[in-house]
Amino acid sequence: MLALTIANVKMLARNRQAAFWALFFPLLLVVVFGLIDVRGVGSGSLYVVDQADTAESQRLTESLAAVEILELESGPYSEAEARRRVDEGDLDYLVVIPRGFAQAEGESPAAVTLMYQSKNAERNQLVDGVVRSQVAEAREGLTQAPLSQLVISEVVQVPDVDYFDHVLMGLIGLGVMANSIISIAVRVSTYRNQAILKRLLVTPLPIWKYFFGEVAAHLAVAAVQVAIIMLVGVFVFGANIHGNIAWIFLIALLGSLVFLNIGFILSAWANSPAAASGMGNAIALPMMFFAGAFFSTASLPWVLPYAAQALPLTPMLDALREVAIDSGQLWDVWPQLGILGLWTLFTAAIAGRVFKFG
Amino acid sequence: MLNAVMEEAVQVDGLVKRFGPVTAVDGISFAVKRGEIFGILGPNGAGKTTTLEIIEGLQKPDQGKVTVLGMDILAKPAQVKARIGVQLQSSAYHDYLSLKEILALFGSFYPQRLDPNDLLEQVGLEDRADSRVNQLSGGQKQRFTVAASLVNSPELVILDEPTTGLDPQARRNLWELVRSIHGRGVTVVLTTHYMEEAAELCDRLAIMDRGRLVAVDAPGKLVSQLQATYTVKLVVASPLTDAQLALLNGDGEVVHLTEKNSYLLRLRNTPKALGAMLDELARSDISLDHLEVTPVTLEDVFLELTGNELRD
Repeated sequence: MLALTIANVKMLARNRQAAFWALFFPLLLVVVFGLIDVRGVGSGSLYVVDQADTAESQRLTESLAAVEILELESGPYSEAEARRRVDEGDLDYLVVIPRGFAQAEGESPAAVTLMYQSKNAERNQLVDGVVRSQVAEAREGLTQAPLSQLVISEVVQVPDVDYFDHVLMGLIGLGVMANSIISIAVRVSTYRNQAILKRLLVTPLPIWKYFFGEVAAHLAVAAVQVAIIMLVGVFVFGANIHGNIAWIFLIALLGSLVFLNIGFILSAWANSPAAASGMGNAIALPMMFFAGAFFSTASLPWVLPYAAQALPLTPMLDALREVAIDSGQLWDVWPQLGILGLWTLFTAAIAGRVFKFG
Repeated sequence: MLNAVMEEAVQVDGLVKRFGPVTAVDGISFAVKRGEIFGILGPNGAGKTTTLEIIEGLQKPDQGKVTVLGMDILAKPAQVKARIGVQLQSSAYHDYLSLKEILALFGSFYPQRLDPNDLLEQVGLEDRADSRVNQLSGGQKQRFTVAASLVNSPELVILDEPTTGLDPQARRNLWELVRSIHGRGVTVVLTTHYMEEAAELCDRLAIMDRGRLVAVDAPGKLVSQLQATYTVKLVVASPLTDAQLALLNGDGEVVHLTEKNSYLLRLRNTPKALGAMLDELARSDISLDHLEVTPVTLEDVFLELTGNELRD
């Protein structure tokens, strides 16, 4: 069985064209997404806790609400609630205007607090500057206190995450999915067309060993794919992976198992290797978009966002991102792993039922 | 009793296989003795491959029993497969492995295996050990598939049309290979639709047509059954009358061929009958386009037994 697995890995590696495309296609996308500046500024949410409640403080709130990249939330929240929302990432910016804000001329005013998370540094810089200038304007003529004392910035340090990190996990999912489905479907249908499967049947090799050898070899290829995509993403394009790398491999391989089963199923339906390849693409490409490999699927119309949740790629990507971006542990993603496990059993049962040797 | 069983490498009893409305194998029985080269001769579609695939355990018969090396193929398929070697009619091998690697891979499926280099040497491909299958010529490819059927040092080798599509030289090389395998005490079962191959190679021969066995015997005996030693083929300008034919043929028999004005005469007692026939031809006003005298071959046996020509 080991001999069979090793022979299969050799064959996969020697099929230069297929091996090249298996790695090149996701890498190409890594490069595309790495080069496009997807780290755009975008707007952030803002809440103002106005403890002063004076004409000046209200004017300041209004002027902040008018800033183009800030969306004022209506609340109402207490200061503690608002701070928790920032901590948890539900609120991007919190401004607290203290009671002493409207101090008369000459007296030292209490400082305005600006609170935000460390991610999205470019926008933070912009917002910080805007708030400082607005506060200075609101207090113009009232104080000689230096600008730096008017606003205190409280920055909640969080891991540095950006869209590219999100997409990188999508690319891992895409690469593993496409290669697992298409490679198995094409290989098995080639073997059937050339009667290699039949030739194996006249040996005493038990059938399950043949399947094991194929699956083990493809899992090895998938592991190499994941490693290369992560290496290029991190070292060439500066992506950040925060969670446990071992969990990422584990999730990717569990996902690969589902897609290998789908490949076996397609190989049973396809009359030729070319048809198998077409079918594989027809399944992989729509799934890539619907499972949110690159873009959020929340904006899909009708029942499609729910349907997207039912695809096997969706829990795989969720779990990968939970681990890679939010430093989740394996037990944090057990629902996704459970769904993938069910998918594995379900697709294996169908594959076992429809698989043909001749 | 045990000895009697063990003398048969293959025992087939009342085998029937249907594919939908088509009966591919229609109640055949035969036995292959240990140590012989047994041929199954018949045109395409006669049911040869289906019969072999049932013996190999690839297909299940609708009726009948097959015993291979003393074991029921349906009851002990894995044990049978471990001790036989099979060359399928149109099976390819992996594109991305060398010959040596393919043989090692297939060897790993068996409890006992031969060294790939030794196997390649046996079939004269030792210098192609690191080549891929698609770099081989047709003859080399066939020899390699024979080598692949020998990886487990089998007691019985089954070859399905091993020489189909080969040029005459490659065919002769393959015959030599089959003889050398046979020379080591291995029982060989092969199918062919070439008469001369069956006559040249096989100790015994089963003639198969439309799912039935029409004869099983040594090639020489099948030929001598015809009680004729020469066949004369006549092509004439206008049809012969029965009286004319009777004069020409003496006590032989006449077979009309499908071609127009073409007759096959089987002569007993040649050369006397041949002389009489030629005299008769010279005396008559028959205008002769073509005359051919050949020794009786399996071709004539097949024609006699099935009423069809073997050539397809």
